[in-house]
Amino acid sequence: MRDRVAAVVGVAVVVALIVIFPLIVTDPAATSIGVFTLVFMVSASAWNIFSGYSGYLALGHAVFFGSGGYAVALAARDWHVTGGWAVFGLLPFGGLVAGLIAIPVGLVALRTRRHTFVVVTIAIFFIFQLAATNLGFTGGTSGILLPIAPFSAANFNQPFYYVAFGILIATVLVSIGVRRSRFGLQLLAIRDDEDRALGLGVKTRRLKLSAFVISAVPIGMVGGLYFYFVGQIFPQFAFDPLFDLSIALMAFLGGLGTITGPLLGAAVLESLQQYLTQTFSSSATYLIAYGVLFLAVILVLPRGVIPGIAELLERRRARSASGPGPAAERESQVAGVAGAAR
Amino acid sequence: MSFTELLQAIVDGILTGGVYALMAAGLTLIFGVMDLINIAQGAMVILGAYLSYVLSVHLGIGLLPGLIITIPVMFALGVAVEFCFMRRLRDRDRTQMSILVTYAVAIVIEGVLTAIFGVDFRQLQASYVNSSVHMLGFYLPDIYLIGFGLAVILLAVLYYGLYRTKFGRAVRASLQNRTAADLIGIDVNRVRTISVGIGVAVTAVGGMVFGATNSFNPNTGYDLISRLLAIVILGGMGSIGGAMAAAVFLLVINDVVAVAWSPTWAPLVYFAALVLVLSIRPQGLFGKSAARAQ
Amino acid sequence: MTHLLEIQGVCKHYGGVAALSQCDLQVHEGQINGLIGPNGSGKTTLFNVITGYERIQQGAVHYRGSEITNAPPDRVFNLGIGRTFQLTRLFMRLTVLENLLVATQRDEGWLRTVLRRAGSASEKRRAMDLLEFVGIARLAHEPAGNLSYGQRKLLELASLLVADPAVLLLDEPAGGVNPTLIGHLADRIVELNRAGKTIVVVEHNMEFVMSLCSRVTVLSQGTALVSGTPAEVRSNPAVLDAYLGGEDDASTQLELAAEAARPHGQVTPGPGPAPPAAPAPPATPARPATRARPATRTPPTPMAPEPVDGPTPLLRVRGVTAGYGGGDILKDVSLDVPRGSITCVVGPNGAGKSTLLATISGLLRPRVGTIEFDGAPISALAPKQILGRGLAQIPQAHSLFGEMTVRENVEMGAFTVDDDALVAQRLRAVEELYPIVRERAGEKAGSLSGGQQRLVEFARCLMLDPELIMLDEPSMGLDPQTRAMVFDMVQEMNQRGKTILLVEQNARAGLRLSSHGVVLENGSVRLTGSGREVLEHPEIGALYLGGAVTRPPARAAGD
Repeated sequence: MRDRVAAVVGVAVVVALIVIFPLIVTDPAATSIGVFTLVFMVSASAWNIFSGYSGYLALGHAVFFGSGGYAVALAARDWHVTGGWAVFGLLPFGGLVAGLIAIPVGLVALRTRRHTFVVVTIAIFFIFQLAATNLGFTGGTSGILLPIAPFSAANFNQPFYYVAFGILIATVLVSIGVRRSRFGLQLLAIRDDEDRALGLGVKTRRLKLSAFVISAVPIGMVGGLYFYFVGQIFPQFAFDPLFDLSIALMAFLGGLGTITGPLLGAAVLESLQQYLTQTFSSSATYLIAYGVLFLAVILVLPRGVIPGIAELLERRRARSASGPGPAAERESQVAGVAGAAR
Repeated sequence: MSFTELLQAIVDGILTGGVYALMAAGLTLIFGVMDLINIAQGAMVILGAYLSYVLSVHLGIGLLPGLIITIPVMFALGVAVEFCFMRRLRDRDRTQMSILVTYAVAIVIEGVLTAIFGVDFRQLQASYVNSSVHMLGFYLPDIYLIGFGLAVILLAVLYYGLYRTKFGRAVRASLQNRTAADLIGIDVNRVRTISVGIGVAVTAVGGMVFGATNSFNPNTGYDLISRLLAIVILGGMGSIGGAMAAAVFLLVINDVVAVAWSPTWAPLVYFAALVLVLSIRPQGLFGKSAARAQ
Repeated sequence: MTHLLEIQGVCKHYGGVAALSQCDLQVHEGQINGLIGPNGSGKTTLFNVITGYERIQQGAVHYRGSEITNAPPDRVFNLGIGRTFQLTRLFMRLTVLENLLVATQRDEGWLRTVLRRAGSASEKRRAMDLLEFVGIARLAHEPAGNLSYGQRKLLELASLLVADPAVLLLDEPAGGVNPTLIGHLADRIVELNRAGKTIVVVEHNMEFVMSLCSRVTVLSQGTALVSGTPAEVRSNPAVLDAYLGGEDDASTQLELAAEAARPHGQVTPGPGPAPPAAPAPPATPARPATRARPATRTPPTPMAPEPVDGPTPLLRVRGVTAGYGGGDILKDVSLDVPRGSITCVVGPNGAGKSTLLATISGLLRPRVGTIEFDGAPISALAPKQILGRGLAQIPQAHSLFGEMTVRENVEMGAFTVDDDALVAQRLRAVEELYPIVRERAGEKAGSLSGGQQRLVEFARCLMLDPELIMLDEPSMGLDPQTRAMVFDMVQEMNQRGKTILLVEQNARAGLRLSSHGVVLENGSVRLTGSGREVLEHPEIGALYLGGAVTRPPARAAGD
């Protein structure tokens, strides 16, 4: 009971901080870091809904990020939507497009398993990147410009910030909902032993595809927001392998398969990343730092920060309730049971 | 597109396929022995290319002789990566974790290369890079022939090594049953480290040939690794023969499309071919059918 | 009588090997059916075919009259056929309760799956009831990965029951389970049958099968040989020929089981149950305080000769504590292996037997303690060096290099030997002892049957001509006839001068064979002595030899 109250208070505090942040810290550099961080928090969290729960590592979700971005850009251009709040109204459209694209992509990719799946998602990613470069309507290598938002220079970042935050809340709620539902439990079962889940009547194909599509929609929406924020979209930028790697790393850092893990991971990493890019203009150092950090995380905290901490607490709790090894207790329990049964 | 152009494209595809096959063989060997996927293989090829570059431009050592230096260097790199990172991966999600770990290694390599060489494109030069043999109406660029020749030789050596030498048997044994291999006195850790070393060492050769036939910069690794992955998955993970067949298959398609349609669409078709084949046959061309795990 | 499940003419090939060939099976509704047969006879394959994990090109499977051949596993499950696996398969990272909640209550719409909570109150209640039924309700919130082997088997059974299947296919439910739990398991199966479920059990444990089942089918080499009541099967000469053989463990077991199943006056061979220790003190596991019951009536079997006690034991383990990082599995273990003896280490699952062998072989370094071989310390040596001293191990089942040929496998045994001539010489000697090495030299080792693989493993080990041979559960997974053969080979090796250190789950057979016995429990040595002493010790009898399964009166299950 105390835990639950503490959790609720904690969440409320965090939410309040996020909401207040741009009002207190008005430096645009800082708030733009905030926007990017929120974008990645959504992306990592959404990715986790699929990859974290089902155990299928998808390294091609940039497809949805870019598709959402292009959808919004093209819609703004072709439907003559002027800059301003109206463009935010297009974000659900971006999400929808991403979700629709996820269906055939998922159907194809999910025919494979494990590492083949990872490679197929990478291949599909490259297909999209190449298609965007070569197809006419995407504007080729120079891409498309998005409408300029007429927000005042001082508060330019804030609308983006709060819209992103709104999307984040929705995504987290979906993540919690999935985790608590039968759907989520069956996904976790798929992660542990897919064939057995199938043998227990779980409709694995349907579930995996559903999770895949669900994970695509927020990423599409937030992709639209991101490119609107930046002002333009072009293939190398829209479909960037580093995006895929980043969200995976964030989810891993925080704890794959947990709800708060990806959020924590994204918050830490993205702000760090942005800070590094702003301080060190050289992309080389940034790459090296990133790679080294990644390696450190994977090797030192293989299950991520949140599960790592949870394990530590678990161990401390077990040690204080000192007893013999769990095995001894188990054997006696079972013997006791067997004895009673006779 | 004329028939000769088509044939020329096929020949080109076969020759380049040989080189890609060699690089992919290293990747598939590492997977076969360690159940790990080395995403950094592409970046390592580029690293090999840069090494050859430095040797030829700054030290005046020819491309082929330079291999004497670059091969051991890359071998050492492979051993270092295995020792420092791959060995630490826990058994449960090894393969997937290895993807992330080696992806990170690739990024570090790319970063280091960018820091040292910048993003300008380079290409390896040698007297024979631009000359070609004119045979039977086809142009067979010397460098491709050399590369193909090297690839065939090295692949044969690899095959021979695996099936005829004691070390090769130790490799296959460690693959098939680690405990038994331990109990027979095989130093499984050493076997694995050396295998990874070999798998990476071939990138020295691949890098040299690739660098001579393509312009490259630190970024080129991404495109390369995705192609290599496609080859390896298509050929069936762990199968060197499969990698060879798949390499030739995909590269021929790539070159034919480049000539018949357009060079910019060729890479897309390359990947689309992979996706297509996998959706029909998820285990690749030569992989065993994944019977439902009992 | 209705045939609930009918299998006709099923054929299944793996490459050149026929796992099932024209196999027929009729499962009678409402009965407990047994499926037995030698290794490789196709029992598990048959289960796989029925449940859709393997596809067949020929033959048909009918359930309640309609055809379900090659139906996918989820469909088979939804029709009401559930199965367990030889090696338990659970969702390790989910809790025990969650494992049960995963199984759907039959076909469910997609929307319901997404919107509904992971377990409604009624579903959770039902799950808890099932956990009570199998007896692990107190572990409901433990991750499944933390359970002991026997508890996992129970959990696997419970998760099937969630969907209330009409048919249960149980694949070696008693395999590797602590003998005290086997009785408990059998009770549960009987209760399920009483509730109307049809059950098919695959087992090697004859007592278990013969006393539980009302109908038994014998599979041999992929076909159904005989089908009938236990009595009919037991006395059928064809069965005895194909499966059993003369005076040995298997026929003994059958006789015992037959006695147990006799309706008049239950003879209860073997000791009785362990009364529960009231509030189990955490420090010690429940110690059964039994009165010695009449010892098992076994036919006279030649016991291994009393060992010649030499001045120094060949292997001396002193105060060894070792573990794999997580915690110590062996705690202050000391034992001696006399020269020329057959020493058998027995103990329940998780006692540390395999860890002990791994430590002696050098795969694991002891944190504390010493190991001496022939007077010289070896605990700091690498495995390769230990092999060089004359100490070799044959690990648990399936330790051959499956893709390599039989010949290559045997040659690999001498991997550490550089002298080619010596290797060739040893190979010839080994071929004399085990003709199969020559006969099947070019075949892939993975295609041999379990017993044949064991022979090749022995051959491989002898390539080093070791002085001490350690065997880790050589009889595991083998049918009675092959088991007897394996034990014969062990004795033969001993008679030829090799010292043997044997780890066995089948304690009775192992100890009967041995001149010395050691009981390991929870990583410590509980008892040592000559083989006979250990075998007949009352305490040991209670815990490790187990008794025949008796038909229990109905009672409330669980705590």
